Amino acid sequence: MRVLRPLVLVLMFVCVFASLNSFCFAQDALDRIRQRGELVIATDATYPPFEFREAEVLKGFDVELGNEIGKELGVKVRWLNLEWAGVLGSLESQKCDLVMAGVTITEERKQKGYLFSRPYFLSGQTVAKRKGDSRIQKAQDILDKRVSVQMQTTGQFAAEKIGVPKDRLAKFDVLQDGLMDVRNNKSDALVADLPALKEILRKNFPELELVGGIIQEENVGIVAWRAEARLVSAVNFALEKIMVDGRYARLHAEWIREPLTTQILGGLDRVGKAGSVVAPARTFEGLEFLTKQKREVAGSSGNVQGGAPTPPTASALSIRWDVIRASLPQLFLGARVTLILTFLTLLFGTPAGLAVALCRISRIRALRWLAVTYIEIVRGTPLLMQIYVIYFVLPALHLDFSPFASGIIALSVNAAAYIAEIFRGGIESIDSGQMEAARSLGMDYFGAMRWVILPQTLRRVLPPLTNEAIALLKDSSLVSVVAVTELMREGKEIATNSGSATTVYLAIAVIYLLLTLPLTYLVSRLENRWQPIRREAKVQKGTKA
Amino acid sequence: MTQILEIHQLEKSFGSLKVLEGIDLTVKEGEVVALIGASGSGKSTLLRCINRLEPPSAGRIRFMDAEVTPSNLNWVRKQIGMVFQRFNLFPHLTALENVALAPRKVLGVSAEVALREGRELLDRVQLSEKAQNYPGELSGGQQQRVAIARALAMNPRLLLFDEPTSALDPELVGEVLAVMRNLAREGRTMVVATHEMGFAKEVAHRVLFLDAGRILEQGTPEEIFSNPKEERTRTFLARILER
Repeated sequence: MRVLRPLVLVLMFVCVFASLNSFCFAQDALDRIRQRGELVIATDATYPPFEFREAEVLKGFDVELGNEIGKELGVKVRWLNLEWAGVLGSLESQKCDLVMAGVTITEERKQKGYLFSRPYFLSGQTVAKRKGDSRIQKAQDILDKRVSVQMQTTGQFAAEKIGVPKDRLAKFDVLQDGLMDVRNNKSDALVADLPALKEILRKNFPELELVGGIIQEENVGIVAWRAEARLVSAVNFALEKIMVDGRYARLHAEWIREPLTTQILGGLDRVGKAGSVVAPARTFEGLEFLTKQKREVAGSSGNVQGGAPTPPTASALSIRWDVIRASLPQLFLGARVTLILTFLTLLFGTPAGLAVALCRISRIRALRWLAVTYIEIVRGTPLLMQIYVIYFVLPALHLDFSPFASGIIALSVNAAAYIAEIFRGGIESIDSGQMEAARSLGMDYFGAMRWVILPQTLRRVLPPLTNEAIALLKDSSLVSVVAVTELMREGKEIATNSGSATTVYLAIAVIYLLLTLPLTYLVSRLENRWQPIRREAKVQKGTKA
Repeated sequence: MTQILEIHQLEKSFGSLKVLEGIDLTVKEGEVVALIGASGSGKSTLLRCINRLEPPSAGRIRFMDAEVTPSNLNWVRKQIGMVFQRFNLFPHLTALENVALAPRKVLGVSAEVALREGRELLDRVQLSEKAQNYPGELSGGQQQRVAIARALAMNPRLLLFDEPTSALDPELVGEVLAVMRNLAREGRTMVVATHEMGFAKEVAHRVLFLDAGRILEQGTPEEIFSNPKEERTRTFLARILER
């Protein structure tokens, strides 16, 4: 029962949470924005020239365009800078009103409940490779290579669509990490949006180049949460005004550094130039949607507030059991990877930690010094940095590991330092008379350690070791930054994918809990089994010294 | 009787504190030597120097035919059994496993033989029925008897006892002394640091009175207990026998 209690609490919390929202968020987004006087736009500022940070300031094409839209709506714009994996999910949790992050308009995303504005940019997916890699001449050449992408971007979808097998796809949270992977020879190519890729390569990756041609053209739009049609109408109205009066052309010239008439810009090339909206020359993917929106705007003849009435968003935070059911297999795969990561790390980290602990208490000064240095360096730096160093920096020293191996190594190196301190504390807590008794019987130091000190230490360090194992199980989520798909990463992908971030993250929380509780239980069982040995301490203390 | 232990001008300091000074001592095979003296007089340190649990600061110790040095330490310790004031049994092992561990791991005796001999030894200290109990389940007197059996299991040439009854409740002292008396009767060579003057008087062949790190006086139990020459011996004995 004791083990079940936290689980029950979590479920109760989930239920309360789910029922609360049905009456809390009934108001329309546009009204809320007007009331607040603030429009919150989420973005991922790793995507020049659309959005990026320079000297603490958020800059870029999207940023200025968004600010102009805010002006049109008569409100201030507050930017929310998130990791891409969390950007779309923040709409559902109402952390933001709109997303502007170079988001491609796709049918899948629409079906997941995201509402798009009219297209404001025509983009396309293209391939980057190392300069001089003659194996890759055209997009089709990457099918049998290792390809990195930014997770859950249309770059990933495009790579999958042209037939790059799943197991050769390395998914990164940050586009730049994917490019580093290519530069370090770990991946051979990367698929992403042409304008962003071009700008990032120009700025930071001179050793990479683009493969000519575009895999697929894409329309970029502004995203809102489902049922916020009034807000989208207002945004479209603002967008069109900005396009018509020439502001769009000015921003385009400033940030994109390409004439509006390039091949990429196709259908938009005439927009804004003549000072009036011209129908796009080619069919946009989001056209039917576009015309519908236009009609709404036209019907209200400029009065944005007169848009079609929309039902309140009642389901924004409720639990979507269908999503959980559908994503369970994938979540279990992630949980399996998390368990394997944890298990292997403990398998390597525990003996390593013990060895470091023995060095730490050794009589040989050099060993002691080495152990102290190691422990202090590992404990004094973030695990995330250690993972980055092992995956991205070590290749420069010709120590090249796969993402999974890098994850195991980083976690083991990290855990070993903490486990070493646990063991040292345990060994030092054993009465010195134990070592003396063992040595006086003729055992050498290592024999005494092996047969007398360590068996007792192990029983004492079991509780802190369990804590470490639990911490490790949770910390293992950090290795997702080097494209290891464990539970948290799997969850992030489903969250971005399904449009039900709340549901998915709660499901992940429950799975983590289910993984850690048995561990706690197992240890309390073991401790009970060793009860007679623990009683010894009391009896010996009871005798007079 | 052959000489088994010879200590020459032994000295031991902890930092600037001199604990032992100019100790000369010879122990013959089969001899029982009692070390008496106030707490802090150096009895324990002397015992611990003999098997180098404390490395001596100066002087020489010969055991059997060899000088005791860091290099032959494990060989020396195999031959010298030690019984501690606080028992120092291994709490994670049963009484029997405590006794059998060193023969198995140090002498390489098979588990079967080590356990059989362990049972015999426990029988000799009247604890055969406690063989499967953990130290935590035994009384202090029982624990100390297991500790003696553990020392005997290595079949040592010399037994060192470091105040073996000082940590015991008074009613438990007798059972431990009885076991030690039997060992003396068997002709075991023993050096015993003790506050039990009755035991020293009855069992020891020779009594050494330590004071401030020196052997102030030594002789047969009659000489020391009935007719001590030194004033300090007299005050020590008067004080301890008053209790």
